[in-house]
Amino acid sequence: MENRHKRFLLGIAAALLAAGATAQDVVQVIEPEVERREIITPDIDTENFELGFFVGMISIDDFASEPVYGVRGAWHLSENWFFEANLGAAEVDLTSYEKISGGAPLFKDSERDYNFYNLNVGWNLLPGEIYFSENRAFKSDLYLLGGVGATDFLGDTWFTATFGIGYRLLVNDWIAWRLDVRDHIFDRDSFGEDETTHNVEWSTGVTFFF
Amino acid sequence: MGPALSFLLILGAMSAALPAWAGGEEAANSRVVEAYIEMRTHPGRNYPVFYVAERGETIELLKRRTDWIKVRNHRDIEGWVHVNDIGRTVDASGSPLGLHSPDRESFANRGWEFGFMLGSLDKTDAISAYAGYQFTPNLALEADYTENYGDFSDGRMLSASVVHQMFPQSRYSPFFTLGGGARQTNPRSTLVDTDDRTDGVASVGAGLRIYLTGRLLLRLQYKHYVVMTDRDDDEEAGEWKIGISAFY
Repeated sequence: MENRHKRFLLGIAAALLAAGATAQDVVQVIEPEVERREIITPDIDTENFELGFFVGMISIDDFASEPVYGVRGAWHLSENWFFEANLGAAEVDLTSYEKISGGAPLFKDSERDYNFYNLNVGWNLLPGEIYFSENRAFKSDLYLLGGVGATDFLGDTWFTATFGIGYRLLVNDWIAWRLDVRDHIFDRDSFGEDETTHNVEWSTGVTFFF
Repeated sequence: MGPALSFLLILGAMSAALPAWAGGEEAANSRVVEAYIEMRTHPGRNYPVFYVAERGETIELLKRRTDWIKVRNHRDIEGWVHVNDIGRTVDASGSPLGLHSPDRESFANRGWEFGFMLGSLDKTDAISAYAGYQFTPNLALEADYTENYGDFSDGRMLSASVVHQMFPQSRYSPFFTLGGGARQTNPRSTLVDTDDRTDGVASVGAGLRIYLTGRLLLRLQYKHYVVMTDRDDDEEAGEWKIGISAFY
Protein backbone atom coordinates (compact mmCIF):
# COMPACT_ATOMS: atom_id res chain seq x y z
CA MET A 1 0.00 0.00 0.00
CA GLU A 2 2.61 2.45 1.09
CA ASN A 3 4.63 1.77 -2.02
CA ARG A 4 1.65 2.44 -4.23
CA HIS A 5 0.99 5.76 -2.45
CA LYS A 6 4.57 6.76 -2.89
CA ARG A 7 4.50 5.91 -6.54
CA PHE A 8 1.31 7.86 -7.01
CA LEU A 9 2.66 10.94 -5.26
CA LEU A 10 5.95 10.72 -7.09
CA GLY A 11 4.08 10.36 -10.37
CA ILE A 12 2.10 13.56 -9.67
CA ALA A 13 5.25 15.38 -8.60
CA ALA A 14 7.03 14.31 -11.79
CA ALA A 15 4.09 15.38 -13.92
CA LEU A 16 3.95 18.79 -12.19
CA LEU A 17 7.70 19.27 -12.64
CA ALA A 18 7.43 18.40 -16.31
CA ALA A 19 4.53 20.83 -16.71
CA GLY A 20 6.58 23.50 -14.90
CA ALA A 21 9.50 22.89 -17.23
CA THR A 22 7.35 23.25 -20.34
CA ALA A 23 5.73 26.39 -18.88
CA GLN A 24 9.23 27.81 -18.32
CA ASP A 25 10.14 27.13 -21.92
CA VAL A 26 7.28 29.35 -23.01
CA VAL A 27 8.28 32.27 -20.76
CA GLN A 28 10.22 34.94 -22.64
CA VAL A 29 13.79 34.78 -21.34
CA ILE A 30 15.56 38.12 -21.19
CA GLU A 31 18.43 38.08 -23.58
CA PRO A 32 21.69 38.43 -21.61
CA GLU A 33 22.98 41.14 -23.87
CA VAL A 34 23.30 43.92 -21.35
CA GLU A 35 25.51 46.71 -22.57
CA ARG A 36 28.60 46.85 -20.43
CA ARG A 37 28.64 50.01 -18.37
CA GLU A 38 31.99 51.64 -18.18
CA ILE A 39 32.70 53.98 -15.34
CA ILE A 40 33.86 57.12 -17.03
CA THR A 41 35.57 59.49 -14.69
CA PRO A 42 34.55 62.97 -15.76
CA ASP A 43 37.28 65.41 -16.76
CA ILE A 44 37.23 67.97 -14.04
CA ASP A 45 39.62 70.90 -14.14
CA THR A 46 41.99 70.42 -11.22
CA GLU A 47 43.65 73.39 -9.59
CA ASN A 48 46.34 71.95 -7.38
CA PHE A 49 49.28 74.07 -8.50
CA GLU A 50 50.10 77.52 -7.27
CA LEU A 51 52.64 79.82 -8.92
CA GLY A 52 53.57 83.42 -8.22
CA PHE A 53 56.21 85.91 -7.21
CA PHE A 54 57.36 87.51 -4.00
CA VAL A 55 59.19 90.63 -2.93
CA GLY A 56 60.55 91.52 0.47
CA MET A 57 63.59 92.14 2.58
CA ILE A 58 66.26 89.71 3.66
CA SER A 59 68.62 90.41 6.50
CA ILE A 60 71.96 88.84 5.55
CA ASP A 61 74.40 87.98 8.32
CA ASP A 62 77.42 90.36 8.42
CA PHE A 63 75.81 92.50 5.75
CA ALA A 64 72.81 94.82 5.69
CA SER A 65 69.15 94.04 5.05
CA GLU A 66 68.58 93.99 1.33
CA PRO A 67 65.60 93.74 -1.02
CA VAL A 68 64.86 90.20 -2.14
CA TYR A 69 62.60 88.97 -4.94
CA GLY A 70 61.82 85.69 -6.60
CA VAL A 71 59.32 83.13 -7.78
CA ARG A 72 57.42 80.66 -5.68
CA GLY A 73 55.53 77.56 -6.78
CA ALA A 74 53.55 74.98 -4.83
CA TRP A 75 51.80 71.68 -5.43
CA HIS A 76 48.89 71.05 -3.09
CA LEU A 77 48.70 67.37 -2.21
CA SER A 78 45.77 67.55 0.16
CA GLU A 79 43.97 70.23 2.09
CA ASN A 80 46.70 69.89 4.72
CA TRP A 81 49.95 69.28 2.86
CA PHE A 82 51.82 70.92 0.02
CA PHE A 83 55.25 70.93 -1.59
CA GLU A 84 56.79 74.27 -2.34
CA ALA A 85 59.76 75.42 -4.39
CA ASN A 86 61.33 78.88 -4.28
CA LEU A 87 63.92 80.65 -6.34
CA GLY A 88 65.11 84.04 -5.13
CA ALA A 89 67.81 86.66 -5.46
CA ALA A 90 69.26 89.55 -3.51
CA GLU A 91 72.47 91.54 -3.66
CA VAL A 92 74.62 92.76 -0.78
CA ASP A 93 76.75 95.84 -0.39
CA LEU A 94 79.94 96.14 1.69
CA THR A 95 80.28 94.50 5.09
CA SER A 96 80.38 96.84 8.07
CA TYR A 97 84.10 96.17 8.37
CA GLU A 98 84.75 97.12 4.74
CA LYS A 99 82.85 100.37 5.21
CA ILE A 100 84.66 101.40 8.38
CA SER A 101 88.18 100.33 7.42
CA GLY A 102 88.00 101.91 3.99
CA GLY A 103 90.43 99.27 2.73
CA ALA A 104 90.25 97.13 -0.36
CA PRO A 105 86.93 95.23 -0.72
CA LEU A 106 87.03 91.61 0.46
CA PHE A 107 84.78 90.23 -2.25
CA LYS A 108 84.25 90.76 -5.95
CA ASP A 109 80.95 92.29 -7.06
CA SER A 110 79.80 89.02 -8.63
CA GLU A 111 80.34 87.27 -5.30
CA ARG A 112 77.95 89.69 -3.64
CA ASP A 113 74.96 88.20 -5.46
CA TYR A 114 72.88 86.21 -3.04
CA ASN A 115 70.93 83.57 -5.02
CA PHE A 116 69.02 80.78 -3.41
CA TYR A 117 66.59 77.99 -4.08
CA ASN A 118 64.78 75.69 -1.68
CA LEU A 119 62.27 72.86 -1.58
CA ASN A 120 59.85 72.74 1.30
CA VAL A 121 57.08 70.71 2.78
CA GLY A 122 54.25 72.89 3.98
CA TRP A 123 51.54 72.09 6.47
CA ASN A 124 48.36 74.14 6.69
CA LEU A 125 48.27 74.41 10.45
CA LEU A 126 45.32 76.75 10.81
CA PRO A 127 42.94 76.75 7.85
CA GLY A 128 40.36 79.44 8.37
CA GLU A 129 38.00 82.01 6.99
CA ILE A 130 38.03 85.73 7.44
CA TYR A 131 34.84 87.72 7.21
CA PHE A 132 34.74 91.00 5.33
CA SER A 133 31.02 91.51 5.33
CA GLU A 134 27.79 89.72 6.13
CA ASN A 135 27.92 87.52 3.02
CA ARG A 136 31.55 87.54 2.14
CA ALA A 137 34.11 85.20 3.66
CA PHE A 138 37.57 84.50 2.29
CA LYS A 139 39.54 81.33 2.77
CA SER A 140 42.83 81.67 4.57
CA ASP A 141 45.58 79.36 5.77
CA LEU A 142 48.31 79.81 8.32
CA TYR A 143 51.05 77.35 7.42
CA LEU A 144 54.39 76.09 8.66
CA LEU A 145 57.20 75.24 6.27
CA GLY A 146 60.44 73.37 6.50
CA GLY A 147 62.86 72.47 3.79
CA VAL A 148 66.31 72.36 2.30
CA GLY A 149 68.06 74.08 -0.53
CA ALA A 150 71.20 75.88 -1.53
CA THR A 151 72.51 79.42 -1.42
CA ASP A 152 75.05 80.82 -3.88
CA PHE A 153 76.89 83.49 -1.97
CA LEU A 154 80.46 84.83 -1.63
CA GLY A 155 81.74 82.60 -4.39
CA ASP A 156 80.46 79.28 -3.07
CA THR A 157 77.27 77.27 -2.81
CA TRP A 158 76.08 76.53 0.71
CA PHE A 159 73.71 73.84 1.87
CA THR A 160 70.79 75.69 3.41
CA ALA A 161 67.94 74.74 5.69
CA THR A 162 64.79 76.87 5.67
CA PHE A 163 62.05 77.21 8.24
CA GLY A 164 59.15 79.53 8.03
CA ILE A 165 55.63 80.49 8.77
CA GLY A 166 53.26 82.05 6.32
CA TYR A 167 49.76 83.24 5.70
CA ARG A 168 47.77 82.74 2.52
CA LEU A 169 44.55 84.60 1.84
CA LEU A 170 42.50 83.54 -1.15
CA VAL A 171 40.88 86.58 -2.73
CA ASN A 172 38.81 84.27 -4.94
CA ASP A 173 39.20 80.61 -5.92
CA TRP A 174 42.47 81.12 -7.71
CA ILE A 175 44.22 84.34 -6.62
CA ALA A 176 46.04 84.33 -3.31
CA TRP A 177 47.92 86.92 -1.35
CA ARG A 178 50.80 85.57 0.71
CA LEU A 179 52.81 86.86 3.62
CA ASP A 180 55.88 84.91 4.69
CA VAL A 181 58.68 84.95 7.23
CA ARG A 182 61.48 82.47 6.64
CA ASP A 183 64.84 81.80 8.14
CA HIS A 184 67.57 80.60 5.79
CA ILE A 185 70.21 78.86 7.88
CA PHE A 186 73.58 77.85 6.51
CA ASP A 187 77.16 77.31 7.64
CA ARG A 188 79.82 79.24 5.76
CA ASP A 189 83.55 79.70 6.11
CA SER A 190 83.98 82.72 3.87
CA PHE A 191 85.62 84.69 6.71
CA GLY A 192 88.09 81.94 7.56
CA GLU A 193 86.24 79.82 10.08
CA ASP A 194 82.97 77.94 10.06
CA GLU A 195 80.01 79.93 11.31
CA THR A 196 76.29 79.33 11.24
CA THR A 197 74.35 82.21 9.75
CA HIS A 198 70.66 83.03 10.05
CA ASN A 199 69.25 85.07 7.20
CA VAL A 200 65.68 86.07 7.79
CA GLU A 201 63.46 86.83 4.84
CA TRP A 202 60.24 88.82 5.13
CA SER A 203 58.23 88.71 1.97
CA THR A 204 54.85 89.20 0.45
CA GLY A 205 53.55 88.10 -2.89
CA VAL A 206 50.73 87.09 -5.12
CA THR A 207 50.17 83.55 -6.38
CA PHE A 208 47.76 82.01 -8.83
CA PHE A 209 46.21 78.55 -8.70
CA PHE A 210 45.95 76.58 -11.90
CA MET B 1 73.63 79.37 -11.80
CA GLY B 2 73.25 76.13 -9.87
CA PRO B 3 70.07 77.13 -8.05
CA ALA B 4 68.40 78.44 -11.20
CA LEU B 5 69.17 75.27 -13.09
CA SER B 6 67.86 73.03 -10.38
CA PHE B 7 64.73 75.12 -9.99
CA LEU B 8 64.03 74.77 -13.69
CA LEU B 9 64.53 71.05 -13.41
CA ILE B 10 62.00 70.86 -10.63
CA LEU B 11 59.51 72.97 -12.51
CA GLY B 12 60.06 70.70 -15.49
CA ALA B 13 59.34 67.69 -13.35
CA MET B 14 56.23 69.34 -11.95
CA SER B 15 54.93 70.28 -15.40
CA ALA B 16 55.29 66.66 -16.45
CA ALA B 17 52.32 66.05 -14.19
CA LEU B 18 50.23 68.49 -16.15
CA PRO B 19 48.80 66.22 -18.88
CA ALA B 20 46.38 65.01 -16.22
CA TRP B 21 45.30 68.58 -15.74
CA ALA B 22 44.81 69.48 -19.39
CA GLY B 23 41.34 69.21 -20.86
CA GLY B 24 38.14 69.29 -18.87
CA GLU B 25 36.39 71.86 -21.05
CA GLU B 26 32.97 70.26 -20.90
CA ALA B 27 30.98 70.75 -17.75
CA ALA B 28 30.31 67.42 -16.10
CA ASN B 29 26.95 66.88 -14.47
CA SER B 30 25.93 64.37 -11.91
CA ARG B 31 22.81 63.41 -9.98
CA VAL B 32 22.56 62.87 -6.25
CA VAL B 33 21.31 59.37 -5.40
CA GLU B 34 22.25 59.24 -1.72
CA ALA B 35 19.87 60.87 0.73
CA TYR B 36 21.80 64.14 0.52
CA ILE B 37 25.26 65.61 0.00
CA GLU B 38 26.76 68.44 1.98
CA MET B 39 28.12 71.57 0.34
CA ARG B 40 30.74 73.58 2.21
CA THR B 41 31.78 77.20 1.84
CA HIS B 42 35.43 76.37 1.07
CA PRO B 43 37.52 73.30 0.24
CA GLY B 44 38.27 71.84 3.66
CA ARG B 45 36.59 69.68 6.27
CA ASN B 46 36.63 72.47 8.86
CA TYR B 47 34.47 74.79 6.74
CA PRO B 48 30.77 75.07 7.50
CA VAL B 49 28.10 73.14 5.59
CA PHE B 50 25.81 75.88 4.25
CA TYR B 51 23.64 73.88 1.84
CA VAL B 52 22.45 70.32 1.43
CA ALA B 53 21.71 69.00 -2.05
CA GLU B 54 18.87 66.45 -1.92
CA ARG B 55 18.39 63.14 -3.68
CA GLY B 56 17.49 63.70 -7.33
CA GLU B 57 19.15 67.07 -7.61
CA THR B 58 21.51 67.54 -10.55
CA ILE B 59 24.77 69.27 -9.82
CA GLU B 60 27.40 70.62 -12.16
CA LEU B 61 31.02 69.76 -11.34
CA LEU B 62 33.13 72.87 -11.85
CA LYS B 63 36.66 72.19 -10.62
CA ARG B 64 38.67 70.15 -8.23
CA ARG B 65 41.20 71.24 -5.62
CA THR B 66 42.93 68.44 -3.73
CA ASP B 67 40.06 66.28 -2.40
CA TRP B 68 37.31 68.83 -2.91
CA ILE B 69 35.10 69.50 -5.90
CA LYS B 70 33.36 72.79 -6.51
CA VAL B 71 29.78 72.23 -7.64
CA ARG B 72 26.86 74.36 -8.76
CA ASN B 73 23.22 73.33 -8.52
CA HIS B 74 20.22 74.44 -10.62
CA ARG B 75 19.65 77.40 -8.29
CA ASP B 76 23.19 78.63 -8.99
CA ILE B 77 24.31 77.85 -5.49
CA GLU B 78 28.02 77.01 -5.47
CA GLY B 79 29.86 75.07 -2.82
CA TRP B 80 32.55 72.48 -2.21
CA VAL B 81 31.81 68.77 -1.84
CA HIS B 82 34.24 66.07 -0.80
CA VAL B 83 35.37 63.89 -3.70
CA ASN B 84 34.22 60.70 -1.94
CA ASP B 85 30.67 62.10 -1.79
CA ILE B 86 30.84 63.04 -5.48
CA GLY B 87 32.01 59.48 -6.16
CA ARG B 88 28.61 58.24 -4.98
CA THR B 89 26.64 60.47 -7.34
CA VAL B 90 25.69 59.15 -10.78
CA ASP B 91 26.01 60.40 -14.34
CA ALA B 92 23.29 60.56 -17.00
CA SER B 93 23.48 56.80 -17.64
CA GLY B 94 23.09 56.02 -13.95
CA SER B 95 26.62 54.81 -13.27
CA PRO B 96 28.53 56.11 -10.28
CA LEU B 97 31.29 58.60 -11.12
CA GLY B 98 34.02 56.51 -9.56
CA LEU B 99 35.94 59.39 -8.06
CA HIS B 100 37.65 59.01 -4.73
CA SER B 101 40.44 60.52 -2.70
CA PRO B 102 43.89 58.98 -3.17
CA ASP B 103 44.43 55.90 -1.03
CA ARG B 104 46.67 52.85 -0.83
CA GLU B 105 45.18 51.44 -4.00
CA SER B 106 46.09 54.63 -5.84
CA PHE B 107 49.59 54.22 -4.40
CA ALA B 108 49.81 50.72 -5.88
CA ASN B 109 48.55 52.02 -9.24
CA ARG B 110 50.54 55.23 -9.31
CA GLY B 111 52.05 56.61 -12.49
CA TRP B 112 54.22 59.58 -11.61
CA GLU B 113 56.21 60.08 -8.47
CA PHE B 114 57.97 63.30 -7.42
CA GLY B 115 59.96 63.99 -4.33
CA PHE B 116 62.96 65.37 -2.65
CA MET B 117 65.48 63.73 -0.40
CA LEU B 118 68.04 64.72 2.12
CA GLY B 119 71.03 62.79 3.37
CA SER B 120 74.68 62.14 3.33
CA LEU B 121 76.80 61.45 0.25
CA ASP B 122 80.29 60.33 1.19
CA LYS B 123 79.99 62.17 4.56
CA THR B 124 78.83 65.46 3.00
CA ASP B 125 75.34 67.00 3.12
CA ALA B 126 73.36 66.10 0.05
CA ILE B 127 69.93 67.03 -1.26
CA SER B 128 68.17 65.82 -4.32
CA ALA B 129 64.98 66.14 -6.28
CA TYR B 130 63.69 63.37 -8.48
CA ALA B 131 60.86 62.37 -10.75
CA GLY B 132 59.90 58.85 -11.72
CA TYR B 133 57.39 57.12 -13.92
CA GLN B 134 56.07 53.68 -13.06
CA PHE B 135 55.62 52.05 -16.45
CA THR B 136 54.78 48.57 -15.15
CA PRO B 137 53.65 47.66 -11.63
CA ASN B 138 57.23 46.57 -10.89
CA LEU B 139 59.44 48.80 -12.99
CA ALA B 140 59.99 52.53 -12.93
CA LEU B 141 62.36 54.95 -14.63
CA GLU B 142 63.69 57.80 -12.54
CA ALA B 143 65.66 60.97 -13.13
CA ASP B 144 67.47 62.40 -10.16
CA TYR B 145 69.35 65.64 -9.56
CA THR B 146 71.63 65.75 -6.51
CA GLU B 147 73.73 68.51 -5.02
CA ASN B 148 76.19 67.92 -2.23
CA TYR B 149 78.20 70.34 -0.15
CA GLY B 150 81.48 69.28 1.40
CA ASP B 151 84.27 71.11 3.18
CA PHE B 152 86.52 70.87 0.14
CA SER B 153 84.17 70.71 -2.80
CA ASP B 154 80.58 70.95 -4.00
CA GLY B 155 79.14 68.49 -6.41
CA ARG B 156 76.19 68.23 -8.74
CA MET B 157 75.01 65.00 -10.21
CA LEU B 158 72.39 64.14 -12.78
CA SER B 159 71.48 60.51 -13.11
CA ALA B 160 68.86 58.19 -14.53
CA SER B 161 67.98 54.85 -13.03
CA VAL B 162 65.76 51.84 -13.38
CA VAL B 163 63.91 50.98 -10.18
CA HIS B 164 62.44 47.57 -9.53
CA GLN B 165 59.96 46.91 -6.74
CA MET B 166 59.10 43.37 -5.76
CA PHE B 167 55.80 43.91 -3.94
CA PRO B 168 53.88 46.71 -5.66
CA GLN B 169 50.75 46.10 -3.55
CA SER B 170 52.51 46.41 -0.24
CA ARG B 171 52.36 49.45 2.03
CA TYR B 172 56.07 48.92 2.70
CA SER B 173 57.51 48.44 -0.74
CA PRO B 174 61.22 47.62 -1.04
CA PHE B 175 63.08 48.31 -4.28
CA PHE B 176 66.39 47.91 -6.06
CA THR B 177 67.88 50.51 -8.31
CA LEU B 178 70.54 50.59 -11.01
CA GLY B 179 71.63 53.74 -12.76
CA GLY B 180 74.17 55.96 -14.35
CA GLY B 181 74.86 59.62 -14.99
CA ALA B 182 77.35 62.42 -14.74
CA ARG B 183 78.85 64.25 -11.81
CA GLN B 184 80.46 67.66 -11.68
CA THR B 185 82.84 68.56 -8.85
CA ASN B 186 83.66 72.16 -7.95
CA PRO B 187 86.43 72.65 -5.39
CA ARG B 188 85.74 75.31 -2.73
CA SER B 189 86.83 78.85 -3.56
CA THR B 190 88.77 79.12 -0.30
CA LEU B 191 91.11 76.37 -1.50
CA VAL B 192 93.99 76.78 -3.91
CA ASP B 193 92.38 76.95 -7.34
CA THR B 194 91.79 73.61 -8.97
CA ASP B 195 89.60 73.11 -11.99
CA ASP B 196 86.05 71.87 -11.98
CA ARG B 197 85.79 68.39 -13.36
CA THR B 198 83.03 66.21 -14.76
CA ASP B 199 83.04 62.42 -14.48
CA GLY B 200 80.71 59.59 -15.34
CA VAL B 201 79.04 57.73 -12.48
CA ALA B 202 77.35 54.37 -12.12
CA SER B 203 75.21 53.44 -9.15
CA VAL B 204 73.54 50.50 -7.51
CA GLY B 205 71.20 50.77 -4.57
CA ALA B 206 68.28 49.55 -2.55
CA GLY B 207 65.55 51.24 -0.60
CA LEU B 208 62.06 51.27 0.78
CA ARG B 209 58.95 53.25 -0.07
CA ILE B 210 56.41 53.58 2.71
CA TYR B 211 52.91 54.78 1.93
CA LEU B 212 51.91 57.45 4.43
CA THR B 213 48.55 58.99 3.62
CA GLY B 214 46.77 60.67 0.73
CA ARG B 215 49.37 61.19 -1.98
CA LEU B 216 52.34 61.10 0.36
CA LEU B 217 55.02 58.49 0.70
CA LEU B 218 58.25 58.27 2.64
CA ARG B 219 61.32 57.01 0.90
CA LEU B 220 64.55 55.62 2.37
CA GLN B 221 67.42 54.54 0.19
CA TYR B 222 71.06 53.64 0.01
CA LYS B 223 73.07 54.00 -3.19
CA HIS B 224 76.61 53.03 -3.91
CA TYR B 225 78.34 55.15 -6.55
CA VAL B 226 81.40 54.51 -8.63
CA VAL B 227 82.82 57.74 -10.02
CA MET B 228 84.87 57.05 -13.13
CA THR B 229 87.62 59.63 -12.85
CA ASP B 230 90.41 60.10 -15.35
CA ARG B 231 92.95 59.42 -12.60
CA ASP B 232 94.44 56.02 -11.89
CA ASP B 233 91.74 54.93 -9.44
CA ASP B 234 87.99 55.26 -9.58
CA GLU B 235 86.35 56.82 -6.56
CA GLU B 236 83.62 55.06 -4.65
CA ALA B 237 81.02 56.76 -2.51
CA GLY B 238 78.09 55.65 -0.41
CA GLU B 239 74.92 57.68 -0.07
CA TRP B 240 72.13 57.44 2.52
CA LYS B 241 68.98 59.40 1.98
CA ILE B 242 65.54 59.97 3.39
CA GLY B 243 62.87 61.78 1.46
CA ILE B 244 59.26 62.66 1.11
CA SER B 245 57.44 62.18 -2.17
CA ALA B 246 54.05 62.47 -3.73
CA PHE B 247 52.55 60.32 -6.44
CA TYR B 248 50.08 61.07 -9.15
